[in-house]
Amino acid sequence: MLNKALIVARREYGFNVRRPGFLFAAFGMPIFLVFMIFIVSLVIASTEEDLERLGTIGYVDHSDVLSEAVAVPATFATFEDETSARTALDESTIGAYFVVPEDYLNSGDVTLYGNSGLPDALHDAISDFLVANLSAKADGELPVERIITPVHTTYFLINSGRTLNEEIFILVFLPFIFAIVFMIATQVSSGYLMGGVVEEKSTRIMEILITSITSTELLVGKIIGLGALGLTQLLVWLAMGGITLALGQNRLLPLPPDFNLSLDLIPLDFVVVMLVYFVLDYALFASLMAGIGVMVGSEQESRQYAGIIGLLTSLPYFFFFFFISDPNGPLPVALTLIPITAPLATIFRLGIGPVPAWQIIASMLILLATTIVVVWASARVFRWGALLYGTRVTPRLLFNLIRRSPQSGGVVTSAVQEHRLS
Amino acid sequence: MATNTAISVQHISKSYGNFKAVDDLTFDVYGGEVFALLGPNGSGKTTTIRMILDILRPDAGAIQVLGGPITDATKDRIGYLPEERGLYRNVPVLEMMSYLGRLKGLSGNDAKKRSLALLEKLELAEHAKKKISELSKGMQQKVQFAVTVLHDPALIIIDEPFSGLDPVNTLVIKALLLEFRDKGGAVVMSTHQMQQVEEMCNRLLMIHRGQQRLYGPLEDIRKQYAQHAIIVEGEGNWSSLPGVIRVEQAQNGARESDHQAMLYLDAQTSPDAVLAAIASSRQMNIRRFELAVPDLNEIFIRVVEGERHAQ
Repeated sequence: MLNKALIVARREYGFNVRRPGFLFAAFGMPIFLVFMIFIVSLVIASTEEDLERLGTIGYVDHSDVLSEAVAVPATFATFEDETSARTALDESTIGAYFVVPEDYLNSGDVTLYGNSGLPDALHDAISDFLVANLSAKADGELPVERIITPVHTTYFLINSGRTLNEEIFILVFLPFIFAIVFMIATQVSSGYLMGGVVEEKSTRIMEILITSITSTELLVGKIIGLGALGLTQLLVWLAMGGITLALGQNRLLPLPPDFNLSLDLIPLDFVVVMLVYFVLDYALFASLMAGIGVMVGSEQESRQYAGIIGLLTSLPYFFFFFFISDPNGPLPVALTLIPITAPLATIFRLGIGPVPAWQIIASMLILLATTIVVVWASARVFRWGALLYGTRVTPRLLFNLIRRSPQSGGVVTSAVQEHRLS
Repeated sequence: MATNTAISVQHISKSYGNFKAVDDLTFDVYGGEVFALLGPNGSGKTTTIRMILDILRPDAGAIQVLGGPITDATKDRIGYLPEERGLYRNVPVLEMMSYLGRLKGLSGNDAKKRSLALLEKLELAEHAKKKISELSKGMQQKVQFAVTVLHDPALIIIDEPFSGLDPVNTLVIKALLLEFRDKGGAVVMSTHQMQQVEEMCNRLLMIHRGQQRLYGPLEDIRKQYAQHAIIVEGEGNWSSLPGVIRVEQAQNGARESDHQAMLYLDAQTSPDAVLAAIASSRQMNIRRFELAVPDLNEIFIRVVEGERHAQ
């Protein structure tokens, strides 16, 4: 019994793992993402180089704010008047200069002169310089550094023991990426499952298959084979993410100096929870898709249903704001407990902060129970759906198919026939 | 009659709601014969086949296949080719055959070896690595047939084996089916091509509205439908012959001069006596003389039409 299911599983895995679409999703996408991180960090690095490229920046102060200037950047040099600064610029001894006018304190106006495009980083540098000196003038007792950078946050996530420095954007960004990876892994593999079932039914290979093996063997084989495929994809992504972070941690990637990557960003508990959710959610999804595929029989129609389910699964995305502002609020907790949104909701919340253990356990148990019911119902529908052609699927018909025992084929087909006649 | 019974069907019935698809059918199929399952569309053939294959359960009655009730092990000894059929389109021929062979219980190696041997036999060996979608329709049908017999079954159930095949491929498949039969295998063939049935089948079952209409050896059935009449081709005044009560000019003579005629005889006159009378007459000569045994097509139509008129 299991033997034949494993033959099906091996075939489904072997066939789909070679698909160009899968290879792209499994390897192409993470390579693409790593490449993007690369590009972004190169761009950040290059803007800083731009500032260095400009060389010395001159300034002329008519407002007295910069007399006895403090926190002067190494590349900044003061000029007596605009004429001398202009001469220096023309002779290329400086790359740019800015003028702080007399009524600066009232107007805030600063004029910047340069020959070519001036980088944003220069604006920031000038701004920091002025803030430091304004505060020094206002009350010399406050440390200048605190005024420029009032907050250095360290996030200590108590239940995971993780510490994260500063990278709040990674804190938000990471669960987002995890959620995308998770959705692609479940949807690609269960989508293949549905496509396969639709093909087998429309070509009537299904009839040959179910006279060779039982429909349960077929269903179980498909779920195992394509589940292994989804897991492969997930592990490839995790491995590639891990390698990227490890390289970043050891500064083997050309990252800007204040851009820190660390393996701590993917904690083990997070990975374990994610894998458990993957197995449960995939089984739920896959059996739903198999049931739909076998009932509708056309690729186009089945994709519509798959789209609706995909949309429901991604509901937490639409409420991402609620997760950020109050991860333990009623809506995030509700979405954690609803089986179809549970994986994404939990991944979001775990990424943002601690989640009470009871909620994770309850969420997993509810998901497990739902999955068992759906797998069971799908197995029943699958048995008879495989032989139904041209019947419109209605809730009543589905209910009939699920309710009747697989041993009483006559009764089920009677139900179908009655349904058709009525 | 062959000794081993491949299929034994006892009083099976099957209803879909108020519609009785199969109504009290009883028949046997033996090893070493080609058995035809005939009937108009919607007569219950597919339902019957599905019950034999355990896809559906009968409401009443019993079915034994290859010596007992059907089990998973029995299914491995059956080859089934449904009527509307297809193959995985984007899979190489050999890979697909091996997969379906393994599902029928062959080992990976055996499945591959047998697939290659069959492809060789069907002159498809050079296409083994090609995807199904790259094959012509005729080739695809040969592959489908190969899948049906790949695991060396004891029983083949095949729906419309020749539909869409060109005459050459029809001969190839027919030869393979007969070879299978001669080795002792049982073939159940459901078809509308009466000519193929007449050429290949030993026995038949014809059903209409789920009920048995004809069942038995082909020759017996044809005799049963034989009219008390003879068909002659030649020249002569046929109605002057003793015992001939009516002469009907046949419409289907190939040439005008063929003068084919059907002579209906009275109950006391035997065809032999008519032949003797013709031979002794100088005014008559014949090129052809045969009993008016209807072909299967005619019988089929007569059974179906007859019931329509009776209603």
